[in-house]
Amino acid sequence: MSENLTLVQAVRDGLRDGMAEDDDVLVMGQDVGKNGGVFRATEGLYDEFGDERVIDTPLAESGIIGSAVGMAAYGLKPVPEIQFSGFMYPGFDQIVSHMSRLRTRSRGRYTLPMVLRAPMGGGIRAPEHHSESKEAFYAHEAGLKVAMPSTPHDAKGMLIASIRDPDPVVFLEPKKIYRAFREEVPDDPYEVELGEAAVRKEGTDVSVFTWGAMTRPTIEAAEKMEEVDVEVVDLRSLSPIDFDTIVESFKKTGRAAIVHEAPNTGGLGAEIAATIQEEALLYQEAPVERITGFDVPFPLAALEDYYLPEPARIAAGIEEAFDF
Amino acid sequence: MVVGDISTGTEVAIVGAGPGGYVAAIRAGQLGLDVTLVEKDAYGGTCLNYGCIPSKAMITASDVAHEAGSAEEMGVYADPEVDVAEMVDWKDGVVDQLTGGVEKLCKANGVNLVEGRAEFAGGDKLRVVHGGDGQGSETIEYEHAVVSTGSRPIEVPGFEFDGEHVIDSRQALAMDDLPESIVVVGAGYIGMELSTVFAKLGVDVTVVEMLDDMLPQYGEALTRPVRKRAEELGIDVHYGLAADSWEESGDGIVVAAEDEDGDTTEFETDKVLVAVGRQPVTDTLNLEAVGLEPNDDGRLETDHEGRTDVENVFAIGDVAPGPMLAHKASKEGQVVAEVIAGEPAAMDYQAVPAAVFTDPEIATVGLTEDEAAEQGFEPAVGKFPFNASGRALTTGESDGFVQVVADEESGFILGAQIVGPEASELIAEFGLAVEMGATLEDVASTIHTHPTLAEASMEAAEHALGHAIHTLNR
Amino acid sequence: MAREFKLPDVGEGVAEGELVRWLVDEGDTVTEDQPVAEVETDKAQVEVPAPVNGTVRTLHWDEGDIVPVGDLFVTFDVEGEAPEPADDEEATEDEGESDEAAASATSEASGRTFAPPSVRKLARELGVDLDSVEGTGPSGRVTEGDVRAAAEGGEEAAEPASESKSATQRVSGDEPASAGGAAGGQEAAGREKTLAAPATRGVARELGVDINDVPAVEQREGEAFVTAEAVQAYAEGGQAAQGEAAAGGPDREFAEGGETTQPYRGIRRTIGEAMAESKYTAPHVTHHDTAVIDNLVKTRAKLKARAEAEDVKLTYMPFVMKAVVAALKEFPILNSELREAEDEIAVKQDYNIGVAVATDAGLMVPVVKHVDQKSMLEIADDMNELVAKARDRSISREEMQGGTFSITNFGAIGGEYATPIINYPETAILGLGAIDERPVAEDGEVRAAKTLPLSLSIDHRVVDGAEAAQFTNRVMEYLSDPELLLLE
Repeated sequence: MSENLTLVQAVRDGLRDGMAEDDDVLVMGQDVGKNGGVFRATEGLYDEFGDERVIDTPLAESGIIGSAVGMAAYGLKPVPEIQFSGFMYPGFDQIVSHMSRLRTRSRGRYTLPMVLRAPMGGGIRAPEHHSESKEAFYAHEAGLKVAMPSTPHDAKGMLIASIRDPDPVVFLEPKKIYRAFREEVPDDPYEVELGEAAVRKEGTDVSVFTWGAMTRPTIEAAEKMEEVDVEVVDLRSLSPIDFDTIVESFKKTGRAAIVHEAPNTGGLGAEIAATIQEEALLYQEAPVERITGFDVPFPLAALEDYYLPEPARIAAGIEEAFDF
Repeated sequence: MVVGDISTGTEVAIVGAGPGGYVAAIRAGQLGLDVTLVEKDAYGGTCLNYGCIPSKAMITASDVAHEAGSAEEMGVYADPEVDVAEMVDWKDGVVDQLTGGVEKLCKANGVNLVEGRAEFAGGDKLRVVHGGDGQGSETIEYEHAVVSTGSRPIEVPGFEFDGEHVIDSRQALAMDDLPESIVVVGAGYIGMELSTVFAKLGVDVTVVEMLDDMLPQYGEALTRPVRKRAEELGIDVHYGLAADSWEESGDGIVVAAEDEDGDTTEFETDKVLVAVGRQPVTDTLNLEAVGLEPNDDGRLETDHEGRTDVENVFAIGDVAPGPMLAHKASKEGQVVAEVIAGEPAAMDYQAVPAAVFTDPEIATVGLTEDEAAEQGFEPAVGKFPFNASGRALTTGESDGFVQVVADEESGFILGAQIVGPEASELIAEFGLAVEMGATLEDVASTIHTHPTLAEASMEAAEHALGHAIHTLNR
Repeated sequence: MAREFKLPDVGEGVAEGELVRWLVDEGDTVTEDQPVAEVETDKAQVEVPAPVNGTVRTLHWDEGDIVPVGDLFVTFDVEGEAPEPADDEEATEDEGESDEAAASATSEASGRTFAPPSVRKLARELGVDLDSVEGTGPSGRVTEGDVRAAAEGGEEAAEPASESKSATQRVSGDEPASAGGAAGGQEAAGREKTLAAPATRGVARELGVDINDVPAVEQREGEAFVTAEAVQAYAEGGQAAQGEAAAGGPDREFAEGGETTQPYRGIRRTIGEAMAESKYTAPHVTHHDTAVIDNLVKTRAKLKARAEAEDVKLTYMPFVMKAVVAALKEFPILNSELREAEDEIAVKQDYNIGVAVATDAGLMVPVVKHVDQKSMLEIADDMNELVAKARDRSISREEMQGGTFSITNFGAIGGEYATPIINYPETAILGLGAIDERPVAEDGEVRAAKTLPLSLSIDHRVVDGAEAAQFTNRVMEYLSDPELLLLE
């Protein structure tokens, strides 16, 4: 049995199933309880599981994340939510100094089975701080897994996999596509393995690596291109990155482009380009193109459409890689 | 939603859940499309909630009351007591059952229901403002949009609807207790249907009509039995008068109407019902945002697929050209859903039937004799009066006739006009004949059950062929 | 209403036919397409089908009469239909119905087409314009059958493939490769994938070399790998010590399992020497093309029975031979022999066509003499006889000499195109591929048609490519439209 769900509905479904199958799983964050979450991601959970497992917290990111670290260390499986990924910064210390390190610090005696959820990314005409795409910060921190699903089916499966994972996962949800389309999602719990990329479109001329909300415009650009046979790979996980799939694709085509909305410098596109040439230099026929956000603070609503990669810009970048 | 604007994506966004919109939604859902249906008031639209269904319910109920009290001829003596509030309650129950059914059908076919008022926001987006205590508004991003916002009653200047003295058809069907007298402005189908209901429930009805006949598009022969019956029911019809103004007077009101010479007639009454026609609802949609403009009739021009000038925007029902009929809207809803799903559908119907639920009923489909001649056919006409129909006589309702119009040479049936008992049901046979391209021979040589009213259809066809049995052939 | 039916065109431009017999009587009820008469032309006997459902009112001729095409033939009674000239229904072999038959009076008056909703939907699905369909239902109502017929009949009959349509596929294996700089050097490797450092790729690009052509001696990760030096060497066309390893790298293994031998003598050797002499003397150019032969297939089918009545097995070969002879008359240079010693080209006046036959002993080419003077049946008969003799080795030398042009039908076994070797000292040979249904593009639409691939090898000392093409085009014309042979 399955249902057609949007991405945010699939997240809700994954949380519900995760909480139903394990009493130690709990949800915490601002407005997640009685209000059901500002994006409706936790709707109905408070009624079903009560106030000891669905906790409305004060507006204090450091406290939210820190408490979750403590809970996880002592055997609970908290799924804290930070309302916008741009507000994770006040809790950054908790993330990089403790969340990522407790396993190492305790030589494996403690692990933190927690999932830090946050809606991320631009495209919703929001004010400052609400459109961040800084997955690179967390991928750079060893000891953290970073997940970013781009479809409802992946969202539920990866969330359940993350909840069941004994180690901490930063679960970033591209909010622009929270309700953009519906997809069949099985009713029962299932896992989509972390660290596995998905080939969304097969091709032989250029490999394009992307993730999050950029997957859809990339596929749109790829399908429209007539002379170039484009392969689109959706990374889904940004730590660990599925380099096996990436390199296999690159060896097939010899040409690559990377699309991400995060700023260019220090973005994960650079990591992929570096690894490609390490692993498959002899297959390379063109420089790796990066089609990304710009090295500026995310602009306000009026300029948003110029900042985010869209199909025309993406196609132009792929063309560059193809023509070289 | 706290900050930001997250669009909900959908393949087909339908604005208005009336008989056009909800049918389009269900069909689209059946074809596997992702559908969002936006409705600002009630599922089923005017037809289910304020029009077709409630009026037919009241017509039936008032008929029952009236017939029971006037069947002495058959040896039945009764003086029924009518509780109008209960009648209206029962009518509301019927409506609720149907609108609940529409909602269930929509959900069962995977249609996403959104409550609110929608307007175009440009860039393939709709802005929906939620009603009641909903959360503000949302944006829907569509691949295709269907406009099915229907129509509203025309308001006559000087007679703005106040729900108390000046009412429209919707309010007329919701009155818990009836006035002693009422003036009905407009002798079209709404005015005449409601006049009949009120008259049968004991209200003193006066009809004021600007033209010189009631139901003018049906012609004298079809309206004669209705006029006769109206007179019998005590409905006072005044032709050639245009309602001009009204004012309160004592417990009631006085309505002033002018004729073409400027002379005024005044009517003392309790309420005035204005039913002079309906106009399409397009002004609430912000059509400029999507580059569309209604034509002079207020409709959105469409092609044979229901498409407007904007490739991914469709219009159906009362906002699109054609008769303002629920079944036409439903047909268009089906076609549009199929077109969007990529099927080779089109509005290729040969004729749209129409019915008036007066006493007796009138129903037509296809061409009249004159229209057939205009189009280059040599019309063959057959007519069978109900007073020659055994069944009609057994119901005590034998006023009226069935008339069929065909092409003399080929025998193809081009149209039919019926006035009399169950006309609204009987017309379906001729609707099928016209669509199928059936000939007079086909209908005449099909055995019809005896004794039924439908035999009159067969005999009318035989009459056109010159060999009717139960009436004289010319 | 009465429907007058005139004798339709019975095919092949014949103006009249003999009414052999009626298949119905006056008063009989007939259905559409039911045969009502047998009519014989000097080509074939055909059945004439009824154009309508109805009853036979009058048969206007007696058995044995010669009926001119277009004359009133039968009058039918049909309900509700106006009398029409009956030139809309054709005899069996005509493709597609005429959509221009006069519409019934009803439609003319009002411009309205009468059809049930299900039929209208079908018309939309099949892309048929309902208003142009002639209705055969009562009173001219359009039926499902009418719509389906209109959908199929809309395609035109196969036309003779005109010169402009078919692409010439010339395979000239002997033309020298024109790769810059590599002439006389190493052979291009022609790989699909090559591994190389980006810098190496840059070098290849600068030198105008396709890196996939650079012969590779090394392999990495199971793929061919080249260095910048290899690219350089290849570009210079030098005899660098790269060796001649093909794309498989140096890993080729030689069979080590031993071998068996058989004698090279007798007929095998004779054939071998003849082949060598022909191929090494005459520069061969083979011209390929494909003839669309739907009409030929139909014609042969029709004539086959008649031939059998004369005890002759009629294959396609006689038609091809006739077509070849007709074309040779126009392009006599292909019916010739180059005598280098005498510095002259002898253009033959005879048309003796050799037909290659595969026998147990090898390839033999018996010759059918004077094909231009023989009828189709005579050609078929002669050929069958010669082929039988060749197969049982009773054929004489004279019967295999004197040929001026040869035809080889490898298609009988299978295959599309080949590069046949000329039967020396002739100047040309025509190879026939397998007759099969293949996709054919006409007017933007692809349909399945019966096609016959042709491979014409010519001696380029005597004949140029243009003449080869023209000759082939002419042959194809005759094959696509066999009626043209009547004019020869």
